[in-house]
Amino acid sequence: MAAMSSETTVNNRMNLLGRFGRLGPILVVVATALFFVLPLLAMARFAFQSVPMISLGWSTLFKRWSFEGVTKAFKDEEFRTALGLSLRLAAGTVALTLALLVPTTLWVHVRIPKARTFVEFLTVLPYVIPPIALVAGILPLKPHARWFLNSNYSLIPFYAVLALPFTFRSLDAGVKALDVKTLVDASRSLGAGWGTTIRRVIVPNIRSAIVSASFLTAAVVLGEYAIARTLLKRTLPAFMQQYQGREPQGGMALALAALVGTTALFALLSVLTRPRRAREVDEPATTTVTRQAMA
Amino acid sequence: MTALVFTGVRKTFGPTVALESLDLELRKGELISLLGPSGCGKTTALRVAAGFERPDMGSVSVEGNDLTNTPAHKRNMGMVFQSYSLFPNLSVKENVEFGLRTRKVPGTARAARVAETLELVQLGPLKNRYPHQLSGGQQQRVALARALAVQPSVLLLDEPLSALDAKVRTSLRDEIRMLQTELGITTLFVTHDQEEALAISDRVGVMSNGRLEQLASPQQIYRQPANAFVARFVGSTNEFVATIIGVHMVRIGPCVFTVPSAKGATGTDVLVLIRPEDLTLAASTESNTLQGVVVQSSFQGASTLLTVRLDDPLTSVIVRTLGTTESRQVGDVVHLVVDPSHGVCAEPGVTT
Repeated sequence: MAAMSSETTVNNRMNLLGRFGRLGPILVVVATALFFVLPLLAMARFAFQSVPMISLGWSTLFKRWSFEGVTKAFKDEEFRTALGLSLRLAAGTVALTLALLVPTTLWVHVRIPKARTFVEFLTVLPYVIPPIALVAGILPLKPHARWFLNSNYSLIPFYAVLALPFTFRSLDAGVKALDVKTLVDASRSLGAGWGTTIRRVIVPNIRSAIVSASFLTAAVVLGEYAIARTLLKRTLPAFMQQYQGREPQGGMALALAALVGTTALFALLSVLTRPRRAREVDEPATTTVTRQAMA
Repeated sequence: MTALVFTGVRKTFGPTVALESLDLELRKGELISLLGPSGCGKTTALRVAAGFERPDMGSVSVEGNDLTNTPAHKRNMGMVFQSYSLFPNLSVKENVEFGLRTRKVPGTARAARVAETLELVQLGPLKNRYPHQLSGGQQQRVALARALAVQPSVLLLDEPLSALDAKVRTSLRDEIRMLQTELGITTLFVTHDQEEALAISDRVGVMSNGRLEQLASPQQIYRQPANAFVARFVGSTNEFVATIIGVHMVRIGPCVFTVPSAKGATGTDVLVLIRPEDLTLAASTESNTLQGVVVQSSFQGASTLLTVRLDDPLTSVIVRTLGTTESRQVGDVVHLVVDPSHGVCAEPGVTT
């Protein structure tokens, strides 16, 4: 009898453990989702509900929602100018980054593979050194390079440096996935110079890495505030900060829109850089046929 | 007429000497294999010919034109690589026409050449496939077609068969030789597989430590190896320490043989290398034989390899016997006759 009872207890415990084993991961996912989603919902209520702060509660949960905050911000002339500038800066930074890093990554892999670790270390530096240190280093040069720093586009080289940790890693992974040395040798042995080799052989085969590097660079540019503010440039983040002070609700709405936009950008990125389909046909060699035909 | 000539080519990578004064001449339409172990410099020689490596000293010329300082893409050479080197983003047809496009061959001529070359390697029906849709053997054949399409002055093959399985390797090897002979294209073939080299080459160059140890016909390489390294690397050998007892006369254990290449003062020890097929089983009544016991018997199909432990000298040898009439069981006492007429190499001064 005692033996049976202890067996039942063990079984009950195991059932409990089994249930927790199944429920555990779900609970963790739900808790994590709440941790991320609740502040966003709070942001959304503040930004899109025309209810005084003091009245925000369960009773007003579905009252007076409107997109007025964000539409008002979108209509602001300064917003459009700032957005335009940020997009142009993003395009410029992407172009500069790719023009510099695609050949560099290729060169490192093909000609100086031993230097790869050093180059990787260099590209991590912007991650370690705060952007403000970069600006602090540039400011003393301002009197000598006013013609350059006065231009809005002077931000492009800084942004290219800031994006290095992401762009180099992305391109490096893309190139590493190819037998790039053999492809370059094959292309050159067929009469192609370096330009043709990069254009016709390398770039098409690291397309995903290039797309990914471009989006990451764009995300860095669209979110950078410290350098733009210090160099007094009216980029989107700088405008948003200033707008928040003027229109708290609109500013919050803009921040949320930027967040949604970036998420959409990364969703698009994951679609565009999906791995190539698995081998479609795995046909055996037709050597036997060939030999018969030749005989 | 010579097609490709290496003259005193030396190439180092830091402290490593990859090629030491390489002199090699390929006649027009000839296929020469460079054979050797990893790191012997054979691939470096090929890469120097292709223009991927610049020699520290010496020169490379093709049909009398010095190409030592000509970049790879201006050399008009076709190359097939060890690893699959097809451009993954291009179809079979586009891969084959890549070299023609870089040479700005007009559209119609280009299409005709692509069709003709794909027909040569029997891959016409697969022209719209992409590399990832092809087997390893098919990929290497497309690579061969791509290299041939540009009608190169020299075809360079860098172990193109080593990534393939045994059956495909043998058939593609024969196809390469057939095409090479048919097109009369001068070819430098690099391999570490002796069977491959002996099977398809007009001449074989055996390399070691950056040096060309011997350049000769496959038969000569096997039958008259220039030194112990070549004899050991190509085929299997039995090694005996023999004593010189007269002009070209050596003693191995109780037996006396004439070894034409044996040179040295009477009483000195030399190393003698004998191929397994040059040892034959004999009747116990025969004189001048080596006696031993079979310790292992390995059936190989057309032949049987016997490992025999000799009494004098105290060593083990491998004997290749043909057919089943000569088969022996483990534990049998056997007598061996040495055929000294060929396949024997003596190295003076070697005492171990």
